Amino acid sequence: MKHFKLKNLLFAIIATAVLSSCHKDKNDVTPTTPTAQVAGVYVLNQGGDAGTITYYDYTTKVTTPDIFTTANGKGVGSIPNDLKIYGSKMYIVVDLSKVINVVDPKTAKLIKQISFGDSEPRSIAFYKNNAFVTSYDGTVAVIDTAALTINKRITVGSYPEQLVVSNGKLYVANSGGLTVTKDKTVSIIDLTTLTVTKTINVIINPVAISADNYGHVYVISNGDYNTVLPGISIINNTTDVTTSQTTVDVGYGSPYVVSGDNGYYLSGTGKVVVYNTKTQAITSPNFITDGTTLTAAYGLAANNTTGEVFVTDAKDYQSNGTLYAFDKTGKKEYTITVGINPANIVFINK
Amino acid sequence: MEKSTVKFRSVFISRYGTRCSCLVCVLLLLSTQLKAQQDTSKKLKEVSVTSSTIPKVQTIVPVQQISSTDFAHYAAFSVADIAANFAGVNVKDYGGIGGLKTVSVRSMGANHTGVQYDGVILNDAQNGQIDLGKFSLYNVQSITLYNGQAPNIVQPARSFASASILDIKTTRPQLSVAKPYLISIGGNGGSFGLINPYLQWQQRVSKQWSFVLNANYTYANGQYKYKVNGDGSDTLATRKNSDIKALQTDGALYWAKSDSNKFKVQFNYYNSDRGLPGPVIYYTTQSSQRLQNHDLLVQSAYEYIAKSSFHLLLNSKYSQNYLHYFDPSLPDATVGSNEHYMQHEFYQSGSVGYHLLHNWEVSYSSDAALTNLFSDVYTNSYQYAFPTRLSLFNAIATDLIFNKWHFQGNLLNTYITDHVKNGTAAASKYAFTPSISASYQPFQNSGLQFRAFYKDIFRNPTFSEQYYYAIRPRNLKPEHTKQYDLGVTYQKNFNGFVRDLAITADAYYNNVHNKIIYLPSRSPETPSVTNLGSVDIKGLDVTLKTDVIPTAGWLGTISANYTYQSAINVTNPDDSYYLDQIPYTPKNLLSLNAGINYKAVGLYYNSTFSSSRYFENNNVAEYYLPSYNVSNASLIYKFLVNKLPVNASFEVNNLFNERYVVLYSYPMPGRSYRLSFQITI
Repeated sequence: MKHFKLKNLLFAIIATAVLSSCHKDKNDVTPTTPTAQVAGVYVLNQGGDAGTITYYDYTTKVTTPDIFTTANGKGVGSIPNDLKIYGSKMYIVVDLSKVINVVDPKTAKLIKQISFGDSEPRSIAFYKNNAFVTSYDGTVAVIDTAALTINKRITVGSYPEQLVVSNGKLYVANSGGLTVTKDKTVSIIDLTTLTVTKTINVIINPVAISADNYGHVYVISNGDYNTVLPGISIINNTTDVTTSQTTVDVGYGSPYVVSGDNGYYLSGTGKVVVYNTKTQAITSPNFITDGTTLTAAYGLAANNTTGEVFVTDAKDYQSNGTLYAFDKTGKKEYTITVGINPANIVFINK
Repeated sequence: MEKSTVKFRSVFISRYGTRCSCLVCVLLLLSTQLKAQQDTSKKLKEVSVTSSTIPKVQTIVPVQQISSTDFAHYAAFSVADIAANFAGVNVKDYGGIGGLKTVSVRSMGANHTGVQYDGVILNDAQNGQIDLGKFSLYNVQSITLYNGQAPNIVQPARSFASASILDIKTTRPQLSVAKPYLISIGGNGGSFGLINPYLQWQQRVSKQWSFVLNANYTYANGQYKYKVNGDGSDTLATRKNSDIKALQTDGALYWAKSDSNKFKVQFNYYNSDRGLPGPVIYYTTQSSQRLQNHDLLVQSAYEYIAKSSFHLLLNSKYSQNYLHYFDPSLPDATVGSNEHYMQHEFYQSGSVGYHLLHNWEVSYSSDAALTNLFSDVYTNSYQYAFPTRLSLFNAIATDLIFNKWHFQGNLLNTYITDHVKNGTAAASKYAFTPSISASYQPFQNSGLQFRAFYKDIFRNPTFSEQYYYAIRPRNLKPEHTKQYDLGVTYQKNFNGFVRDLAITADAYYNNVHNKIIYLPSRSPETPSVTNLGSVDIKGLDVTLKTDVIPTAGWLGTISANYTYQSAINVTNPDDSYYLDQIPYTPKNLLSLNAGINYKAVGLYYNSTFSSSRYFENNNVAEYYLPSYNVSNASLIYKFLVNKLPVNASFEVNNLFNERYVVLYSYPMPGRSYRLSFQITI
């Protein structure tokens, strides 16, 4: 009898060992800390039916797939669309839920939820004591970063998307979004008077916007999905004139990331294009040098200190994606499993 | 990133598409038919029921049927509530009175379930799914689910063209000269602010002519309390914008010289206006979207069976489906905020059958359907396609009974071609698809039977999949299914405590490939709808039905259906969800119905259990939906008022007030009550 039981036990151990070795380890990560001061990385997943925030801790090497729920006991909301850290707070802009969740970036614990009423908030930028948030009702909300209340709404163009601060001014990309006729303007807001001082034309359907240290504001437009192809417009932040509007190989919805003297964006086929902001020329058609290909490059981030570039792959847009880290030579360092439609990547320092 | 919003809205629209209403055809499929056609007054007289209520289960392919006499046992409101009880069926229910309800059979997806109204397929060319919540039960005689197809070879060719068939058969007058009319007036009402009166008038005009007319009106505010899971709130919220007003009228005119020479013409008109409560979005108020439907269907059927066994069946149909989707919360110029659709279908079918030998019948069926769709969907750079689709179906079939064996086989040819006003029409499709089935009874009168079937069939992309905002042409292939089934059945009548017993067990393997998938991609150059996906389904359906007579005058009925399904994604080993169970597919489903009847009173209990599921492709904790078990109860009382038979029933849905969802962010109602009443003149 005893012998029999022992045999069973033995069998169970072997079976467990076999089964666990067969089990596909979907979180095949053993990244080393990219720089000593980085504590972790947040990835905003727009989600399929439910948005999530993935957190990867570089010290414990643990991935928390939905840290907002873990920290707060409730979900982040439907279609989170922007994530940024400013000062001691992290702002999660949630489109369909029409809120901004302001959290402590160290714990992801909710500090305050700011309701946007009937408008869908899209993107956020900061200047001094204010946060600026575009909404699909055609406004930019001005939020006091201490009180976390909306103090003003500045009317801009139709369906504004991203916005950027440059040379004491706020540049807002008016996409036209879901309208039959797309918008093709950038509204320029004076950050002292908080009024629109100028509206200038760019390529139709501008969505992404970014600024460098040499007086350029870069605007990625999706075109009209028909005859006008996607392209990049460049605005001079002194004269506020569009100096260039060029059709380039840029992927629809690509972010434009500036880090040091480099601008990065995604090409139509998911390559990471490197643009020198000083010389105003493309320095590399693809930052990735080790042959790694992404199915659907989606989000993009860069670390100026280490020269690393981070790209998310949304794969088939309906299953969990992957965050790729590439070193300064463009070789893959590690990957982290993230959620569905991973759009934004934000690092938190120790 | 704006695309996410676009995606959200278009998916939403496609979830709530048009669909045909109903009618016709005269195929008597089962020996249980006569049983099923007893009207309520006749039923009342035999309240002490001694005959079996169990339909024949020893069929060549799995057949499950629930007839009108049993509808009340399920506390059911619509056809969807009945269909949910069949083995192998997974209902997608958006919740509430006006919520969309579709059925997927054996995990192949709702688009593979052909829904027939009196033997003729209802076609929704736009979305390919029929909302069974739209069909009330008042005019329905029986609801039957066929895996594969109905085991009757003289039927329209299009009835061979689905992976499974759900047939809704309407009430047909069975009146005599002595009592040439039958009028039923009734209604029900209760929770959700539901008021639902109806009228049925059956009339025998002459020896050969008779007609039936039905009308029912549904009004409900649709509101119910629900618990939001995951937004941190601990109070109940109220589901709003869920009101519905619907009017359904239908009727049929019958001519029958004999059972083998008959004609009927039918119509059905359905008109509804409802709010779409939409998914629960955390932290914000709910939707204000509206949906209006006007569906008309006119159908005729002629059947002739000659003494020589020559069998002719002709079916004609015209249908139109109008749909208006409107979201008043969006600015007028917003794409997708206000859309109108109108579909028309002209359909003609002819089938002939002939017995070459007394045990060998062959048949040929030929169908043509012309379907078009108008819409005001457009943007500056995109004009709607205005597609017209011609579908031709031709089928040859054979049925052979040889000793203890029964064989059936058919070969279907499908030709589909589209014509569009704008853009590029889909490539024409031409395919032969077979189906074979066999059964074997090893011993005479043992009640034991073995059966097997194989079916190969596809569904063509819907107009939505093919053309809705197809900024670039979509090169879509049909979505293909292969089914293998091996089963055993046992059916026997007894004289003791157990009156009769029917048990079936079917193991099956299905494969779905070239699955048509919506990809919410950022780029219009990437096709947003594509053939990507392959699913392997291994399952087991077990059904058990028994009637017991504990003591004279009492009748107990028990019905239990169990389904096990492993439906795994086998698209690509590189996918993070490779070998994961597909979304919204529980591994275990159990439905139980038990009741006891004594004289004029019946008490019935119904319960449905679904194991846990995932709402996304990845089987990970973030996308987990817990299991649920929902119970209904009904108390039925039949009595006479001024010698007129009256049926009254009190029904409780979700008896134990289970808080659950079938679909993520679509909460289901808690406990609700309904009182119904019917008087027959």
